[in-house]
Amino acid sequence: MMRSPIPVMDAHGHLRLHVRFPYKTEPDQMLEVMDALNIEALAVTASLACWNDAPNGNIEVDEVLRKHGNRFRGYITVNPHVQGEALRELERWSHFHNPPLIKLHPSAHQCPANSPKYDAIWDYANQTGAVVLVHTWDSHAMCNPLMFPAIAKAHPQANILLGHSGVTWRGYEQAQEAATAAPNIYLELSGSQRNRTMLERCVNRLGAERIVYGSDMPALDPAGTLADVFTAKISDDDKEEILRYNFLRLLGES
Amino acid sequence: MSPFSSETIFGEAADWNVWDVNTRVGPSGPNGQLSMDASALLGEMSRFYIQRAVTAHWTGVEYDANVGNEKLAVINEERLIPAWTPLPDEESIEQLAARRPVAVRLMPRNLNHSWTVTPWCAGDLLDYLAQHRIVTLVAREDIEWQSLIDVLENFPQLPLVLLDIGYRFDHYLVPLLRRFPSLHFDCATYLAYRQLENFVDRYGPDQLLYGSRLPLFTAATSLGVLASARIADDARLAIAGGNLRRLVGAAAPGAVA
Repeated sequence: MMRSPIPVMDAHGHLRLHVRFPYKTEPDQMLEVMDALNIEALAVTASLACWNDAPNGNIEVDEVLRKHGNRFRGYITVNPHVQGEALRELERWSHFHNPPLIKLHPSAHQCPANSPKYDAIWDYANQTGAVVLVHTWDSHAMCNPLMFPAIAKAHPQANILLGHSGVTWRGYEQAQEAATAAPNIYLELSGSQRNRTMLERCVNRLGAERIVYGSDMPALDPAGTLADVFTAKISDDDKEEILRYNFLRLLGES
Repeated sequence: MSPFSSETIFGEAADWNVWDVNTRVGPSGPNGQLSMDASALLGEMSRFYIQRAVTAHWTGVEYDANVGNEKLAVINEERLIPAWTPLPDEESIEQLAARRPVAVRLMPRNLNHSWTVTPWCAGDLLDYLAQHRIVTLVAREDIEWQSLIDVLENFPQLPLVLLDIGYRFDHYLVPLLRRFPSLHFDCATYLAYRQLENFVDRYGPDQLLYGSRLPLFTAATSLGVLASARIADDARLAIAGGNLRRLVGAAAPGAVA
C-alpha cells in the first residue's frame, strides 16, 4: 500500500458529501484512510455549510473537533448573503482554532469573491491573521484566482489559500500569477486534473514554501494528489514542505 | 534511497504487469507543452512501472485520421499498442483492416472527423470492429450518452472502453455497465474518494481498466489511487492489466468480411 514517508498535514477536507455515490465518508471512516496514508491531520469544512446551511454545518465541525480534535482542524464556513450571520458564526466558533480558519465557497454561494458582501469577513480575517481557504476555478466569474491579489493586498495579515489552485492548466497559471502578485497567497493542491509537470512549474516559479497539500476528501481520493507530490521532480525537502511544514506554519503549530 | 523514490512509493507495481489503456503520443496543438514522442512516453511509462500502453496519435486526434495513422504506423514499439483512428467510409475501413488492428480510438464528435455512431452512418465500421472484437476506445466527451447506448445495443459483441469518465457520473455509468457486459471504463479520472474501492466492492473489477491519461496527466495519480485502494490483490491485478490483456487477447484482427 502506498504510504507517505512523513506525517501529512492536509489543508482541504470536508465533512460528509451526500452526493453521487458516498462511500464510507463518516469521520471515523475517513480516519482509516488517513491512517493508511499517514495523514496526521485534516482541516475540514462541512459540506452542508458550503452548499446550503452554514450555521448547522459549523455545528457538525464542532462535533467532530470535540471527538477527534487531534486529527482534525476546523474551518468556520460563512455565507456572505445572510446579513450579520458571517460575523456571528466567526465569533461563535472562534474556539475552533487560533488563528481562525475560514472557508469561503464563492461558486456554491454564487457570490463573487470580490463582492462587498465579503468585506466584513476579509476585515475579520485581516484583524485575526486568519487562514482563509477559498474555492477557486479557472476563469470562473465567482472565484477566478486572479480576483485575489487585490483582496490579499488590502488584507495583508490574512493568509489566503487558493483552493484547488484554479484546477485546470490555465487555472493553475492564474493561481501562480496571483501568488506572484501577493505574498500572502498560497496554492492548495487538491483537484481532479493532475496535469503532468504542473507542480514542478509551480515550485520553480513560486518556491515550495507557497504551496500546501490538500486532498478535498471525501470528495476526492487523497492518494491521487499525494502520489503527484511524492513523484514530482522536485527535491525531497520541497516535498516535505508541501506535505507538512507549510501548513503547520500557517496554523501556527510548527 | 530517497523515501520518495519510485521504488519506495510504487515498487509493488513492478509485479503488477501494468497495462495502460489511455495514452496518446506525438505532437499536439493545444497541449504542446505536455506532448511526448514515443521515446519520452516510454520513459515516463517506465517511471511508473507501466509495461505496455494502448496509444493513439495526437495528429490523428487533432488533425487528420489518416495522417495520424501513418505516423502511428512508423513508431513500431513493442510496448505501444496502436489505437488507430478510424473513419466510417468504405475506403477507410479497408485501410484500417489492412493494418490488422487490435485497438481503435473513436472521435466521432471531433470536427475534423465529424461522423456519428448511428448505424446509417457508421454501421459498417462498427460491424467490422465488433466482428473482430477490436478494442474500441472512446472518450466520454466524444460521444453522447444516448449514442453510446445505441452502439452497445446494436453491437453487443463490441468491446467498448469509455475513457475519461470523470468522477461525477456513476449514476450514468453503473446502470450501463450492469446492462452491457461489453462496456468497460478506465480509471484515469475515476478519482473520487474511495470510488474505485466502492465500485469493486459492489460490482467486481472486471469492467475497470487502468488508464493514466499520459501525457496530459501524471500517471502517479491513477496509480496512487489504485495502489492505495482497499481491494483484494487479484482485483488490483485485474484492473492494473489483466482485464486489458483479456480484451487485447480476444481481438482477432482480420480483413473486411
